[in-house]
Amino acid sequence: MKKFEFKGMKFLLAVIVLYILVAIFDATNYTTSFNISIKLLWSLVPIFTFIIILTAAINYLLKPKQIMKHFGKDSGKKSTLYAILGGILSHGPMYAWYGMLSDMKSHGLRDGLIVTFIYARAVKLPLLPLMIGVFGIAFTIIINIYIIIFSIIQGIIMDKLLSKESSQ
Amino acid sequence: MTNKEKQITIKKAFLNALKGFISILPMMVATIGLVGLFQTYVTSSMLSNLFGYSDGLDILIGTFTGAISSGNGAISFIVAQGLQDQGVSLYALSAFILAWVTLSFVHIFAEASVLGTKFTVYRNIMTFITTMIISFLTVITLKLFI
Repeated sequence: MKKFEFKGMKFLLAVIVLYILVAIFDATNYTTSFNISIKLLWSLVPIFTFIIILTAAINYLLKPKQIMKHFGKDSGKKSTLYAILGGILSHGPMYAWYGMLSDMKSHGLRDGLIVTFIYARAVKLPLLPLMIGVFGIAFTIIINIYIIIFSIIQGIIMDKLLSKESSQ
Repeated sequence: MTNKEKQITIKKAFLNALKGFISILPMMVATIGLVGLFQTYVTSSMLSNLFGYSDGLDILIGTFTGAISSGNGAISFIVAQGLQDQGVSLYALSAFILAWVTLSFVHIFAEASVLGTKFTVYRNIMTFITTMIISFLTVITLKLFI
């Protein structure tokens, strides 16, 4: 059985030290930063809950063998389409999804698909009206098409880079 | 599989997901803390002073400033609108909003600790280059239509 281990303890310690320094030298901005972080943390609770449920559902419905089949080395174009759709439909900050991706990666998810998923997240469906309002409809359509095209290209390059290294 | 076995499997799947989430909590709390600091110290007026040299340099600076900024994607559009009002080019703004959502130097440590250092380095370099290419292509394509 895999040993339970906290990830990022040193990173957390470094941020705590940073906050202590800010509190000593710049108390006003310390309060502002702290309040922003607490507000952000609170706003993420529903997303975290959703991700835990989604990860549990994936764990339950897709066994490692199936993950390998659908998203592993020999998976086809369909997996790229799933990664793009998953990226577009996923909400919340990227770091909230790291746990699920890491879990799927340990079961055989291709690195290229993770890259495609992460880049496709730049297509923000709920923010499209705001984007159109600021930049116009033509700009919004063009940039989002390019994002999807380049999310696929990045995935292919990542797979090539890593397979080249592992074969050396 | 019997119903009981199925229930145990669901419970196990949920506990595994919860355990995985708890294991990355320190990393996530640290990242959120860092986001708070960045949103306080990196202001839009600081950013606007950096642009206006050349299209190529604007794309590079837009990508870099987007990558060091952090927060909800909606904020990037609002900041971009402010920068647009101050005369910052569309090349820079495209790079800025795209880098904001695809790159984040604040998240790099978290990404490396979970997905691996090599993966994180490759992905971020690739994304940095891609963001600049897309920004350039978007504005060029837009000019063809308008």
